[in-house]
Amino acid sequence: MSDAKQLLTQLFKNNNINVPANRMNLFDKFLQDEQNIAAINTINQNQDWLMTKWKLQDRIAEIMQQPVRILNASVGKSYEAKFDFEKFGWKDITAYEFEGLEEAGLLYDEKTKQITGNPTQSGDIKIVFKFKLEAQPEDAPLNEKIITLIINPDPKSLWKNLESDKNDPYWKEDDVSVFAPIGDRHILVSSKRGRAHANVGSFREDDFAFKYLENGWSIVVVGDGAGSAKISRKGSALACNSVVDYFMEKSSVENMKEFDEFLQQHKTNPDEDTLKKLNHFVYNHLGKAVFYVHKQLEEFTTKEGFPLKDLNSTLVFTLFKKYDIGYALLSFGVGDCPMAVLNKNVSKIINLNWIDVGEFGGGTRFITMPEIFKNEKFPTRFNFKLIDDFSYLILMSDGIYDPKFVVEANLPNIKTWQKFLEDLGGKNEDRIKVELRVDNKDIVEQLSRWMDFWSIGNHDDRTLAIVF
Amino acid sequence: MRRLPVYLLLDTSGSMTGEPIEAVKNGVQVMISSLRQNPQAIETAFISIITFDSVAKQVIPLTDLASFQMVDIKATGTTCLGEGLKLVSTCIDNEVAKTTAEQKGDWKPLVFIMTDGIPTDDWQSGLEEFKKRKTAYTVACAAGSGADSNLLKQITENVVSLDTADSQSIAKFFSWVSASIGVTSTKVEDAGKEVTGLSELPPPPSELNIVV
Repeated sequence: MSDAKQLLTQLFKNNNINVPANRMNLFDKFLQDEQNIAAINTINQNQDWLMTKWKLQDRIAEIMQQPVRILNASVGKSYEAKFDFEKFGWKDITAYEFEGLEEAGLLYDEKTKQITGNPTQSGDIKIVFKFKLEAQPEDAPLNEKIITLIINPDPKSLWKNLESDKNDPYWKEDDVSVFAPIGDRHILVSSKRGRAHANVGSFREDDFAFKYLENGWSIVVVGDGAGSAKISRKGSALACNSVVDYFMEKSSVENMKEFDEFLQQHKTNPDEDTLKKLNHFVYNHLGKAVFYVHKQLEEFTTKEGFPLKDLNSTLVFTLFKKYDIGYALLSFGVGDCPMAVLNKNVSKIINLNWIDVGEFGGGTRFITMPEIFKNEKFPTRFNFKLIDDFSYLILMSDGIYDPKFVVEANLPNIKTWQKFLEDLGGKNEDRIKVELRVDNKDIVEQLSRWMDFWSIGNHDDRTLAIVF
Repeated sequence: MRRLPVYLLLDTSGSMTGEPIEAVKNGVQVMISSLRQNPQAIETAFISIITFDSVAKQVIPLTDLASFQMVDIKATGTTCLGEGLKLVSTCIDNEVAKTTAEQKGDWKPLVFIMTDGIPTDDWQSGLEEFKKRKTAYTVACAAGSGADSNLLKQITENVVSLDTADSQSIAKFFSWVSASIGVTSTKVEDAGKEVTGLSELPPPPSELNIVV
C-alpha cells in the first residue's frame, strides 16, 4: 500500500468512513487526482512540522526540568566547578550564554568546561543559562534555564567583634600581651578573648599572672574561667592573683627558705629520702597556696552573694628558681591547661601536670570545687622537677591546647612540641613569626598577631605564656 | 575538628503528598540557608537527611553546611519508621567519629524525626537498635492529627506536635530546628558542653506544642 493510500485509509477510518471493496477502484483513482495528491502532501508536511515542533518543545522542557547541580562556592575561596554540556547530555545546544555569573565574580571557560573565579558575595545566586538548540531557527530567542549557585559566606566574615561592656563590675581587657623580665629569664605572655566571645560581646574568661618574688623564685599562673559559669572571668582573675598574693606574703617567702635547705640536702645526698622531703614540701606548701586560693574565691562569693560555682575556673601555676645545680620547678594544676618545660636543646619535654579532660559534657575540674581537695588524686596534682637548664617553660589554656595539641596523647611527644615551636617561628598558614629573642622589640606585637591564628571550630579564649 | 552531626529523619509516606512534602523541602532549604549565616554552625554542623516511606533511604549523607545541596524528595508508600530508626543507627555507626587517645571524636549527634502518621512496620525493633546509639538529644515531631505523639514518646522524651501538617506549621518546625542546631553548635564550641534536652533549646514557637 502506498504511503498516500495508507494515510487516507487511516484518516477515513478515524472518521468512520469505510471504503468497501466495490469502491476500491474509485478510491485508487481518487488517490491519483492531482489536487488530492497535493492535499495529502500538505497533510504530510503539516504533520512533520507539528512533530518536529513538538519534539523541540519537549526537548527544551526536558533541559529546563533537568536538575543541574553545581558545587557550592564560598566567598574568598577560589572556585572551580565542572559544567560539562556533554555530561549533562546537551550535545544539541548550539549557542548559549550565562547571565549572572560575572556579577558573582565567576566566568565560564568553554575549553576547560569549568566555571571558575573568586566569588565576592554570598547568597543563593540565580544564574540564567540561556541556550539554543540546533533544531531551533537562527532568529529564535534563547531559552532560559535558572540554575541556583549557592555561595557560602566567608566564615571569617561572619564573626562579629563586639567590645565587651566596660561598665561591668568584673570587666577585664579583651586582649592583653606582655613581655617582661622574670628572675634571670624573660616571660612573653598573651591572653586573648576568643572569637566565640567577641561574636556576642562577652568577656575574656582566661587570665594569667606572673611575678618575680623577692626570694629568687618566679611564678607564672594561668587560669581559664568556665564558659558555663556566670562570672568565671572574675574567678580566673581572682584565682591567678591570689596565688601570686599568697607567695608574696612574708610567711611564704620565709617558708620557701626551707626548700633551699632541702635542696641542699638533696644535692649532697641525692637519695630517696631527700627527694621525699622535697616532694613533701611541695605538696604541703603549694597545697596551702591552693587552699588559700579556694578560700579567697569562697569568701568573695559569700560576700557578693553568688554560688561558688559561678567563679568556676581552672588553675595551673609553676614556680621556678635557679640554683647552682640547675632549675627547680614546682607546680600545681587543676583543669585542662597544660604546662611543660623543654630542655636546653629542645630534645626533651617534661610535662608538669596531667590535665583534667572530661568525657563528653564538661568533665574538667575547677579550683572552685571542694571535692578536688578530698580526692585521692589530689597529691598527684603537684609536681617537683629539678633540671640542669631549660629552653622554654610553657603554660597555656585549652584555647591553645585544643587547636595545637588536640589530644592528650600529643602532650608527652617532643615532636608535637617541636612542631609547636616551629609554628611559633612562622611555619603556619599566615607566615606569622614570633622571634623569641630578648632583643626583639616587636615581640609583643608578633605574639599578639600569632595568637589570632585561624582554626576551624576553635574559637575559645587563648592564653599562652612562654618563659625563656 | 569535632563535628556536630545532625540527622533529619523525615517521613515521606504517601500521606505527605502535596503541601506537606513541599513544606518539608522548603523548610530544609530555609534551615540550611539560615545556618550558613551562623559562624559556629557553618564550621561544626554536618547534616544528613534520611527519608522513610515503604523503605528507608539516606538521601544525603552527613555533609557540611557549606557543601550541602538539598535533593528532591517525593512522597509515596507506607510509613516504615522502624526501618528509618535502623538506618539512622547504622549511619551513626559509620559516620560519627569516636574519641580515642589519638583523635578527638565528633560531638554526639542530634536527631530530629518528623512524621505525620502511624508506623506501618515493626518499629519497636528499629527503636531497639536506635536506643543503643548515643545521641545528644533526639526530638520527634508529630505533624498533624494522624501522628501518634504517645508512640513517639517511646522513642524520645522530647516530643513536639503540630496541630496540622500545613506549610506554615512545618516551616515553623524547621526554623525551630535551625535555631536549636545553632544554639547547640554555639554551646559545644563555646563551653565545650553538649546540650542534652529540650529545656536547653530555644523556646519553640506557638505552633509547636510540647508533648508532656
